[in-house]
Amino acid sequence: MFEQILWWVGNAAEAFLLLRSFKEKLYEKYPAFYFYVAIVLLLQLFRFSVFVLYPLAFPAFYWYTQFLPATVGYAVIIEIFKQGLKSSPGAARMARVVLWGVLGTVILKVVVDALSSPTWSMATSFTGLERNLRTVQALLISVITIVLTLYKVPNSRNLKGIMFGYGLYICASVMSLAFGSLPGNATRPGWRHVQPITYLAALCIWTYTLWSRYPDPESEEDSKIERDYRLIAEQTSRALSKIRSYFKMGGEL
Amino acid sequence: MSQLLPYFGVGFLLLAALILWARQSLTTRKGSVELFMPRERPSGVGSATSRRNLGERIFDLQDWDFVRHETSSEIQRMFQRERAVLAISWLRRTRRQITLLIRTHAAEVRRSKNLQPAMELKLLLSYLSLVMLCDILIGLIWLRGPVGARKVVRRTFDWTARLHAAFEQLIAIVDPANHKGLETGFNQGKM
Repeated sequence: MFEQILWWVGNAAEAFLLLRSFKEKLYEKYPAFYFYVAIVLLLQLFRFSVFVLYPLAFPAFYWYTQFLPATVGYAVIIEIFKQGLKSSPGAARMARVVLWGVLGTVILKVVVDALSSPTWSMATSFTGLERNLRTVQALLISVITIVLTLYKVPNSRNLKGIMFGYGLYICASVMSLAFGSLPGNATRPGWRHVQPITYLAALCIWTYTLWSRYPDPESEEDSKIERDYRLIAEQTSRALSKIRSYFKMGGEL
Repeated sequence: MSQLLPYFGVGFLLLAALILWARQSLTTRKGSVELFMPRERPSGVGSATSRRNLGERIFDLQDWDFVRHETSSEIQRMFQRERAVLAISWLRRTRRQITLLIRTHAAEVRRSKNLQPAMELKLLLSYLSLVMLCDILIGLIWLRGPVGARKVVRRTFDWTARLHAAFEQLIAIVDPANHKGLETGFNQGKM
């Protein structure tokens, strides 16, 4: 009963979110995000029809389509990266380098695992594969969030909502899928509720923050901002060295 | 259960990053971009040299030697207590300065198309090592007092100096061009 309530409320919230996006023309600005929400909604309804019409085929259909939202989620992350850092090319450059570093490390780990384990397969279970897809997403969102925080990049309320809601959902998904992939935990109902509840919380955040279209924060004048990076970096390092020299007496203790 | 740790680690990293980012978004005034500009200060009270001298005076052993030889144990305890308060206050002020400096830097360079990630990483690590140093010192002084913590403090300085030197060497191998530029900056900054 509880699962059914979650399911119907979630579908209603997704439909409502899509309707608002048409009214406010938000889908033009965040196409990947609304495509993601539409895919999740359509998939839920499609699954429901398969469950009613072909109940025997439902489990296989469910697991094979489980990767679709996780894959489309990568498009949402690319959109968050592009929209969130478009006004700050310097911070975007920094984020790009770290993101490639993270992706490179993940690919290296997958290759090393594949070579070292003779019985390696794409994944030991569907849950494991989804968990791995979501874990990489969590790493990518973490990098973008850390760069946004460090460089204090201003963003619109709409994008903040998308990012916070999606980040929260991914965080809960990684933890619950990791717990669920342990032997014997797959049948426990407790961890299975975490994902839908968090997704509903994310939908609430999205409905609140994407109710209307908010403008991007005003950009500062380029002439004022585009200064010589090398000069600024040298000034900062010189100042840090000066502060470090305050502690010089430590060597004399 | 141990195989879950990396996933929980990633989950908690994301959660912490989101909370910090949300906190920053809520505390920053709506629609405003905070940009702290370094201010020119007269070379009298509050200048870099006097702040350094203040640090030297706080940790100097001369006062303690005098108090130890000339006064009662009660006065010695009082001296240690007051010196600890002064030292912690000085360290906290220095920590705030470092944070303000790196915030100013971040606000200045975030739009720069010429930003060099290796240099940014170096500055970030330099900042983190200084902040960590301040926190460790505050903890040590709070626990053992400015005189009692001297040996551990010296070891902490040696350790951070070695860490800094190792990172300098690493950057010199990975990115020699940036390292040369920064080295010039550091040398100019040395007092």
